[in-house]
Amino acid sequence: MPKLYTFLKYFFVILWACFVIAPFLWAISTSFKDFNSVTGGATYIPWLQFEPTLDGWSVLFKPGSQGGINIIGPYFNSIFVTLTASLISIVLGTLAAYALSRYTFKAGFVKNNDITFFFISQRIMPPVVLSIPFFLFLSTLGLLDSLAGLILVYIVLLMPIAVWIMVDFFNRVPKEIDETALIDGCNPFQAFFKVVLPNSVPGMLVAGLFCIIFGWIDFFFAFILTFTKVQLLPVKIVALNSSITPWWSLSAAALVSVAPLIIVAFIVERYLSKGNLSGALK
Amino acid sequence: MAKLVLDNIAHSYDPNASNPVFALKQMSLSWADGGRYALLGPSGCGKTTMLNIMSGLVTPSHGKVFFDQSEVTRMITEERNIAQVFQFPVIYGTMTVYENLAFPLKCRQFPEDQIDKKVKEVSEILNLHNFLDNRAKGLTADQKQLISLGRGLVREDVAAILMDEPLTVIDPDLKFRLRRKLKEINDKYKTTLIYVTHDQNEAMTFADNIIVMDQGEVVQAGSPKDLFERPQTTFVGYFIGSPAMNLYECSANSENQISIGSNTFKVHTNINNTHSKDLKLGIRSEYITVESKLSDNSLEADIIEVEDFGNYKLITASFDSVKIKAKVKRELDIPSEKVILKLPAEHCCIYEDNKLI
Repeated sequence: MPKLYTFLKYFFVILWACFVIAPFLWAISTSFKDFNSVTGGATYIPWLQFEPTLDGWSVLFKPGSQGGINIIGPYFNSIFVTLTASLISIVLGTLAAYALSRYTFKAGFVKNNDITFFFISQRIMPPVVLSIPFFLFLSTLGLLDSLAGLILVYIVLLMPIAVWIMVDFFNRVPKEIDETALIDGCNPFQAFFKVVLPNSVPGMLVAGLFCIIFGWIDFFFAFILTFTKVQLLPVKIVALNSSITPWWSLSAAALVSVAPLIIVAFIVERYLSKGNLSGALK
Repeated sequence: MAKLVLDNIAHSYDPNASNPVFALKQMSLSWADGGRYALLGPSGCGKTTMLNIMSGLVTPSHGKVFFDQSEVTRMITEERNIAQVFQFPVIYGTMTVYENLAFPLKCRQFPEDQIDKKVKEVSEILNLHNFLDNRAKGLTADQKQLISLGRGLVREDVAAILMDEPLTVIDPDLKFRLRRKLKEINDKYKTTLIYVTHDQNEAMTFADNIIVMDQGEVVQAGSPKDLFERPQTTFVGYFIGSPAMNLYECSANSENQISIGSNTFKVHTNINNTHSKDLKLGIRSEYITVESKLSDNSLEADIIEVEDFGNYKLITASFDSVKIKAKVKRELDIPSEKVILKLPAEHCCIYEDNKLI
């Protein structure tokens, strides 16, 4: 029986892995094809079935004057905006979540859970509802078409995720840890920074991963709130589209844009597997 | 080190409710400097709340707390200089064992050499000296609890060490040794130790003074002997001792005589002034003797069961359709069907409305 279980387990894991990897393999092979290789029927093996070319890739790095889109600037813009907004969201979100988890707030009928729900509710409404307020808001502040404006908007979008994940995380961290730190002579701030925070790294990594993913893939606000001075990667990639869909350069762009997320996921995964507080209590 | 006084303390977690429920009902208690106390009572009786009030994790809704002469009711925990060990081990998982033990001293900015000396001393006492450089997270549950305990012991100047069922997760052999160590520490440093437990044996063997609590009230405070011989309430009689005290509803006949069904017994308590109909006689099974013939204060009972516990035998018998338990020497020959049991008058406790008279 255990053998059958092991067999089935590996069988489904391998099946799922193939299912996940197949589109990537397809995109990699397409990115090295030219027009004829893409439209001339299904081919898989380079050199044997089609002659690989770097045309699809070179479009991404050539300036507009040479028929390219030059994604380097937007790429770094995206990295900068996503990382900054995620970092600020994690810092503010962690502080908010800790307070919501450990202290009791009460204003009329509004209690801790209502405040947490208020944060999450920001993500419940469809983004299009927020587009006009955000546009007017940034326009008033003079931050339209700027990195600072985008960061501000992304913080609003990402902080609910951070708060949501971290409240749940802190609720599972026994309050005896904080109490022990107080008894050992810390004030509440020291207890948070010296004891609770070092134990919360796994939770913050998970929250960070989600923030980075949601920040990185956003197209809607990047499209509405920027024009010419600042562009983010998703908006730039869409500019590739023309009357003939350039599958080869779109594939290359897809691979380039998904690469940072894969790298981040690999780094965070190592911590996720041991990422719990099981050792802190019991 | 200090004398701890709880002055008219009461606590409700929701004092503004129209009908507040009190986790701790009004009481005054004082804990002598250097004393070794056990707080004993069933789960949910308010022991932990009382401990948290002393350490400052909970501010009492009523009353005052004093350390020596100074009032500390609203003083925050870190300023109270008190040590508390919780039921389950709390360790700082990202630190090593050494850093864990040094943490309370570092927080209070002790000099490095003093920290080092003290950490090593405490780690020797707790057999943790071989693990000082290990991450605390990887240790076993009882080793982790030793770390929690160690953090309580590194500071010599604490007002008191409060322990909330600290040995629950520790194996019996180590439990025994640790209790002895704690006694030694108490003797050596004269630190007030307050030990919460629901295990009466633990309380009896550890403490000089036992405080028994039930439903948020202190029902009796005294030495293990007092609690055993003169339980102030039927709850204490029932809760302390194994087996529990034999308790029977009875009625008063005359000044020093009561009756249980058709049996009459002399007692040393004057029961002339009792008014309540709720009268009970209580006697420890240890004080009941087996006799060869009926005499004063004896009764004939039908044996239900005789259990051999190795060092004693426990007779369970019945008379007038109530059960009686007697603990007797194992060498004693016990008849198979009927037995004559004597309830010595000097050991009979009489309870009116469940309180000793």
